[in-house]
Amino acid sequence: MSTQTPILAADKLSVRYGSFLALSDVTLSIKPNTIHSVIGPNGAGKTTLFHALTGRVRASSGQITLDGRDITHVSDDKRVPLGIARSFQVTSLFQNLNVRENLRLAAQGRNPLQALAPWRGVDPRDHALAVAGEVMERLELTHVSDRAAGELSHGQQRRLEVGMAVAAKPRLILLDEPTSGMGIDDVEAMKALIRNLGRDHTVLFIEHNMGIVMNISDTVTVMRAGRVLVEGPPAVVRDDPEVRRAYLGNMITGDIA
Amino acid sequence: MNRASLHFLLAALVAIALPLFMRSGTLASEVLIFAMAAAACNLLLGYTGLLSFGQGIFFGLGSYAAGLTLLHTSVPLALALVLSAITGAVVATGVGWLSIRRQGVYFVMLTLAFSQFFYFLAYTFKDITGGDNGLLNIPRPAIGPFSLGESWTYYAFVAVLFLLLFAALQRVASSTFGRTLLAVRDNEERARAIGFPVRNFKITAFAISGAVTGLAGALHALLIGVAPLSNIDYHMSESILIMTIIGGTGNLFASVLGAGFYVIVSDLLSSIWPRWLLLLGGLLIVVALFMQKGLWGLLERLVEALPMGRKSSINSSIEPPIQPESEGRGI
Ligand SMILES: Nc1ncnc2c1ncn2[C@@H]1O[C@H](COP(=O)(O)OP(=O)(O)OP(=O)(O)O)[C@@H](O)[C@H]1O
Ligand SMILES: [Mg+2]
Repeated sequence: MSTQTPILAADKLSVRYGSFLALSDVTLSIKPNTIHSVIGPNGAGKTTLFHALTGRVRASSGQITLDGRDITHVSDDKRVPLGIARSFQVTSLFQNLNVRENLRLAAQGRNPLQALAPWRGVDPRDHALAVAGEVMERLELTHVSDRAAGELSHGQQRRLEVGMAVAAKPRLILLDEPTSGMGIDDVEAMKALIRNLGRDHTVLFIEHNMGIVMNISDTVTVMRAGRVLVEGPPAVVRDDPEVRRAYLGNMITGDIA
Repeated sequence: MNRASLHFLLAALVAIALPLFMRSGTLASEVLIFAMAAAACNLLLGYTGLLSFGQGIFFGLGSYAAGLTLLHTSVPLALALVLSAITGAVVATGVGWLSIRRQGVYFVMLTLAFSQFFYFLAYTFKDITGGDNGLLNIPRPAIGPFSLGESWTYYAFVAVLFLLLFAALQRVASSTFGRTLLAVRDNEERARAIGFPVRNFKITAFAISGAVTGLAGALHALLIGVAPLSNIDYHMSESILIMTIIGGTGNLFASVLGAGFYVIVSDLLSSIWPRWLLLLGGLLIVVALFMQKGLWGLLERLVEALPMGRKSSINSSIEPPIQPESEGRGI
């Protein structure tokens, strides 16, 4: 495994917000077809790392490569057709558009220039519509397909949020706290979904629920104060004294399957 | 019948009804010309979420382009109109390209600044534009075998163009492009995150809006035989925006209502009371405070209040993301 080219790699990646260094020399390597989680206390820079990897914020220094190709200066929208898609920690949907249309757009984003033709209608057999249908099935949203995203329950909105990333059919999918604010049942379903996504995607996800992290990750990266603290398989990370200190010893409780 | 066909039918009804109820062919033509400009403005405001104070630039330049070609060359009318549309599109692309670099208030300020800039440009180059006097004596050549000299025949010509453009704009609005614009309006950040080069979409919307507005400006210059400085004035941008907002930004037909209302009411009031703009200001306040869906929203409520009121299918504020079964047709 270790000799494989990583699908995504960050080399000494730093991000500054003004004078504040939110991400500092982060070096990370995501192996293809693995489930890789990022954990760390609030404000550790996890979301900022995602922002940098997906191009939402500019890296102040360092390099990002996708399959060995330098993408540090590729804009966020252009990274989607390269096979990177993400979901957000704070739900960000098209509130006034219905669920199907949200997902159709997310699927269309893979071929965005096709949508630039002002005369081209949406064919009922449109590929993007078919993908939207699939994703709705997968996330159990089919029964609300015609409801505006803004009218959905919190749990449904969180599922749709993840669905937006799935609909892009990425090779690498980044999920930022997919279970945040979810009820117990939804959390279990999301855990199953992430594990399932791991079969045909590379998954990078941020999660506070240690049960999920320790259970389904191949690799865990622990961050603190903008830096990588420890990285390794769940069992190693769990018992690392530094990690226990970072979490004040009381947050890592999930069992390892 | 789907929503788009219904709205097209309503637009056609307006085009047919105006000659029956109005005495002046000039005023009737003006209604449809401004309906085109307002619908083009709506593509930016209602569909893309861009409040552009630059619409008067495209309108005015369309007037000048048509006037100059018809005064100085002997090209056919159709070509002069196409040139005006191209002028509108090209300038709108430039104005859009620069303005969308900023968002919100700063975007609006930039379009406003461009509006002033082009006004003074037109004012300064008097030799070309006629300055304060405008470009005078613009001829209205025949189109093929049809003379357009009489005001109602010109109206017929305008009405045909209006319906063609209305259908074309409807097509744009319901295309994957138009639906992506709605997404941009709703959540620009997310639209970018799922892969859409949002700026290209906004610029394209500007270009289309500019083309239609430029053509409307050309038709207006032909209508009155003059390309006046007021067509490129900041007040033109303002009037087009007011028509769009009064009509409602939820769909394109609302802009036809807004333009019709504005043009006819200003004509009525200006003859009886010189301070009629006060009333218009008052109405704008009422719309902003109490009826954000504009005249169209009011119409919807009236229709619903009827005893056999239609189902609430007419209810939602913007043409909703179309169901896959119900569309696939052009207009
Ligand atoms: N746009 C911004 N401008 C300035 N500072 C920011 C910005 N976004 C985040 N920060 C700061 O950067 C640090 C890292 O934030 P980030 O959101 O990446 O943390 P996180 O690990 O995702 O935390 P959480 O678990 O709470 O989501 C925090 O101190 C935060 O306040
Ligand atoms: Mg975060």
